[in-house]
Amino acid sequence: MKERKTTSEPRGLAVPQSSVVITHEDIDRAHDREQVSATRARRGFRPRLRLFWLLIGPGILVMLGENDGPSMLSYAATGARFGIGFFVPVLVLTFLMACVVQEMTVRLGAATHRGHAELIFDRFGPFWGWFSMIDLMVGNFLTLVTEFIAIRAGLGFFGVRPAVAVVGALLVLSVALMTHRYWTWERIILGAAMFNLVFVPVALLTHPHWGAVGRALVTWKPLPGGLTQETVLILLALIGATVTPWMLFFQQSAIADKGLTINDIRMGRLDTVLGAALATVAALATMLATAPLFAHHMAAANFEAAEFAQALQPFVGYWGAALFALGMFEAGMVAAITISTSSAYAFGEVARRPHSLNLPFRQGKSFYLVLLVEAIAAAGLVLIPGIPLVYIVLLVNVIAVLAMPPALLFLYMLVNDREIMGALVSPMWANVLALGVVVILIGAGLLFGISVIAPNALALLGGG
Amino acid sequence: MAKDFDTTTGADLSREELTSVMTALEPDQIISTKERHHCPRRRLTRTEMILFWALRIYLVFMVGVVVYQIWTSVR
Repeated sequence: MKERKTTSEPRGLAVPQSSVVITHEDIDRAHDREQVSATRARRGFRPRLRLFWLLIGPGILVMLGENDGPSMLSYAATGARFGIGFFVPVLVLTFLMACVVQEMTVRLGAATHRGHAELIFDRFGPFWGWFSMIDLMVGNFLTLVTEFIAIRAGLGFFGVRPAVAVVGALLVLSVALMTHRYWTWERIILGAAMFNLVFVPVALLTHPHWGAVGRALVTWKPLPGGLTQETVLILLALIGATVTPWMLFFQQSAIADKGLTINDIRMGRLDTVLGAALATVAALATMLATAPLFAHHMAAANFEAAEFAQALQPFVGYWGAALFALGMFEAGMVAAITISTSSAYAFGEVARRPHSLNLPFRQGKSFYLVLLVEAIAAAGLVLIPGIPLVYIVLLVNVIAVLAMPPALLFLYMLVNDREIMGALVSPMWANVLALGVVVILIGAGLLFGISVIAPNALALLGGG
Repeated sequence: MAKDFDTTTGADLSREELTSVMTALEPDQIISTKERHHCPRRRLTRTEMILFWALRIYLVFMVGVVVYQIWTSVR
């Protein structure tokens, strides 16, 4: 095993001068950074565009990745149950919340070059480090199960058998990892994530009432008809569909793995906003696509994706329904890849094991094994006959909302930690927005608690 | 962590290549440096500890609510 030692020359950072070892991972990352530096040195529109191309990725991936199986099913269920109204602006608001939260991870990742789990472990100690990682692992595992439910349901529309669909998805996930190169992996998954927009043509095929969409966005009406257990559950599902703990861990780790620095924060923000915009369009399209089911008073209590596609067929034709089912498959597939990657990053960061998509398999065994074992276990669960899949789907988004406030507290404290952030600590306005998100999340969680424990009290609160 | 930067390519790094890696990356982006120098642990204030535990209890309680809802729905 050969090593090359040299003397590092810190450029103003608080890293002591000592001998360093250059790894395969360093070489790959340096290659990517050289391209960024060379492009940044050039002036003009085309170099700027190329720089944007080189630096985008984590933001779009995290936002489109969160438009996952349970999220798309939640949007579809909302459109089918409530049509175009109150939940349209709520959906836009949830993506704005996601932008506020994810922007903090961009700064944190670029300033520290470390993943989220690693920072929690280092700054708050092993107790809270392991706690937050276990939270993430449990949440991610449940979410992964729902991704395979979406994959199974989406391909089920085309007559693909569940076992074939699930095993095929695992093969796709493994093939994406075989690149052993962050850049290549990111570009492949970015390309796949763009298929999230297949919901747009499906929505257009239903000829949405654009006036009603505009009115709903401005007036937040019509209201869903009082505060009931169902509206609270939908509200929580929508929030849980856009703001979840794995997104914090994934984007920060991906930014560190990609090698972004403080000079790239502006592009990182742009990447996040662009991702949120694309994800909002896809989410709104899904809601609009299923709105005809509401208009025609068709029951849509079942969350199985293939049944949504089948129910839509009279309005959008076979190809429209096929696109919808394909979109469900894509949503599950991309999210299965990004979510299992976020688990692998977090495990490596906390267990102090190598964690990068630039690692060859031999050097990153634990990273790739955590990723694959979690995905295989989740996929296997979906194939067990009689498992209450619908409950798991519902449970996942609710748990995501409930787990978010503790995760956000860590993020809030880290991003305001002058010792690691220096001048990049959050400005006052960003802190106000972040605390606003925490208040909304805790409020939604408590509302859910009341709706379960004392459903009658909801009538007093909202007249349902 | 394995430090064999050249085992996959089977070639050693030249001085120029080494310099280019060191120039392209910031010092704390180099893996071996990151492994040696972790962020120091900070002391949590009493308020922060209370907040951490309050949110932990909130999470455990709410997960209990979810389990209760599933149990009642199944019944």
